[in-house]
Amino acid sequence: MIVLGFDTATRATAVALMLDDREVLRARDDPGPAEHPGHATRLLAMADELLATAGIGWRGVERVAVGLGPGTFTGLRVGVATARGIAQSLAIELVGVSSSLALATAAARAPGERDAPDEGRVLAVIDARRGEVFAAAYRASGRRSVSELATPRAIAPDQLGSVIALAQEQGAGTGAWLAVGDGAVRYRPQLEAFGVTIPDDFSRLHLVDAGTVCELGMRERPVTAYEQILPDYRRRPDAELALESVAGRGAVAR
Amino acid sequence: MRILALETSCDDTCAAVVTGDGRIRSNVISSQGVHDRFGGVVPEIASRHHLELVNLVVQQALADADVTLEEIELVAATQGPGLVGALLVGLSTAKALAAARELPFAAVDHIQGHVAANFLVGPNGEPAFEPPFLCLIASGGHTLLAQVAEHGRFAVLGRTLDDAAGEAFDKGARMLGLGYPGGAALERLAAGGDPEAFSFPGSRAERSQGGGGTGRQAFANSLDFSFAGLKTALLYRLRELPEAQVREQAADFAASYQAAIVDSLMLRAEQALERTGQTRLAVGGGVAANGELRRRLRALKASVHVPPRELCTDNAAMIASAALQGRQLAYPAYLGLDAYATGEGSP
Ligand SMILES: [Zn+2]
Repeated sequence: MIVLGFDTATRATAVALMLDDREVLRARDDPGPAEHPGHATRLLAMADELLATAGIGWRGVERVAVGLGPGTFTGLRVGVATARGIAQSLAIELVGVSSSLALATAAARAPGERDAPDEGRVLAVIDARRGEVFAAAYRASGRRSVSELATPRAIAPDQLGSVIALAQEQGAGTGAWLAVGDGAVRYRPQLEAFGVTIPDDFSRLHLVDAGTVCELGMRERPVTAYEQILPDYRRRPDAELALESVAGRGAVAR
Repeated sequence: MRILALETSCDDTCAAVVTGDGRIRSNVISSQGVHDRFGGVVPEIASRHHLELVNLVVQQALADADVTLEEIELVAATQGPGLVGALLVGLSTAKALAAARELPFAAVDHIQGHVAANFLVGPNGEPAFEPPFLCLIASGGHTLLAQVAEHGRFAVLGRTLDDAAGEAFDKGARMLGLGYPGGAALERLAAGGDPEAFSFPGSRAERSQGGGGTGRQAFANSLDFSFAGLKTALLYRLRELPEAQVREQAADFAASYQAAIVDSLMLRAEQALERTGQTRLAVGGGVAANGELRRRLRALKASVHVPPRELCTDNAAMIASAALQGRQLAYPAYLGLDAYATGEGSP
């Protein structure tokens, strides 16, 4: 099966094409700190380049796999809208993949790496802006996959202990943790205070790999309606929260 | 030629199928109706709803037109101006729909879309309104006067310097306790009121007393609009009068406030007709549904065209119409197109 996969949960745009022989072609755009993310401008162009390299046309794609986040809302919407548009256009299969799970899966199986995680305990930490991160905990379960111990949640970096505690309740054990993701890089000092190991800033383990999105997407059951694929926001719109807090105060006053 | 177009610049999720001769095969508009409790469109919520709806709206537009994607030869979408997060949902979807079939694509300017609504054949076979003409566009998001020389080309003669006319209606309605969006409720209330009971900036009554909108000469000589002073004037008037009198005269407030907005729009339209020597005027945007504005337009000594309501408010048929006249990009030249928030005219 030929799978086109991509991820736009972080500032990066990652695209991969998995071919029938499981060979994976990859392309990515990692904007510098002063540059705009290329979600809207680079995603389709990179997909087009990979298809040309593989010598297949759009009609050769059999399944689209898209990273659902959590991450930046606008980036996720560009990724999901693009995935759904391709799938609808070609009437092909569509699956969603957790971007956190993709990060953790790639990190847990980095064999022989200096930063290989202790007993496969990985924290996926994606920058959530506004001084927060989306943190989730995983543990290797078998050679090729990881299982989720703590589902992604938006927390302040100095609240990482709550995620680790939750993972331990779920049987993570008490060994060391490896933390990966752009949030881990950004909040390194705060996270290292919890004793976690963070690969150096330029390690590829911090990047969501679209090849892993393809691979995880191979295992998913395709949705029966494209609109079922939605970003994993993990945060409600500010306006809703503000309205509720006003209503809440009103209730107290009464 | 069959065009599939998407429009998601604000809070309506729209898709349409239009043929090359300007006939509408389908025109689906899904109004989100989720912003009322916030007193205005919330960009993040609008974007989330667009994404939930967009593929279904496309599917509906194809089904209503009784066509499949196989029969679509051009895809179009609004590129801007508007809410960028909202625009990106429609633009990304449309680019992907087109790319996977290697179809040509047209990125459309939203204002050009409103202008191009006039080039469509009406739902009951009404003929298109052909350039040259002047075009007054007044909605909750924009208010401007454009000179339309030919199908694909227009020049902006004047625009609002602050609030849009529809926004002024909604804000006035909220101050009068009519909820949000309350433009239509304000119009209903105004029907029983005296439009000359109060003198508001922009109104004829106020101008006859030596006022002049914002009062600045440059503004007076321009074809620009301003509604912020009007809104403030209403606020102060409501504050300075006893509550009982405000309640009693609510209809007068509504009628006078509406008259000031309509007068402002009519004044600029009349001035523009005079200055350009044009004798034809097209009107678009949600405010074109206002009865008082329509009544005043009928009295103009010009040939006036107001498209049906569903083509005046935001819709994708008008985007398809603009795409027919505008620049069409072959695959893969459009893959890198991004949305833009402000300004008009594709680069
Ligand atoms: Zn509009």
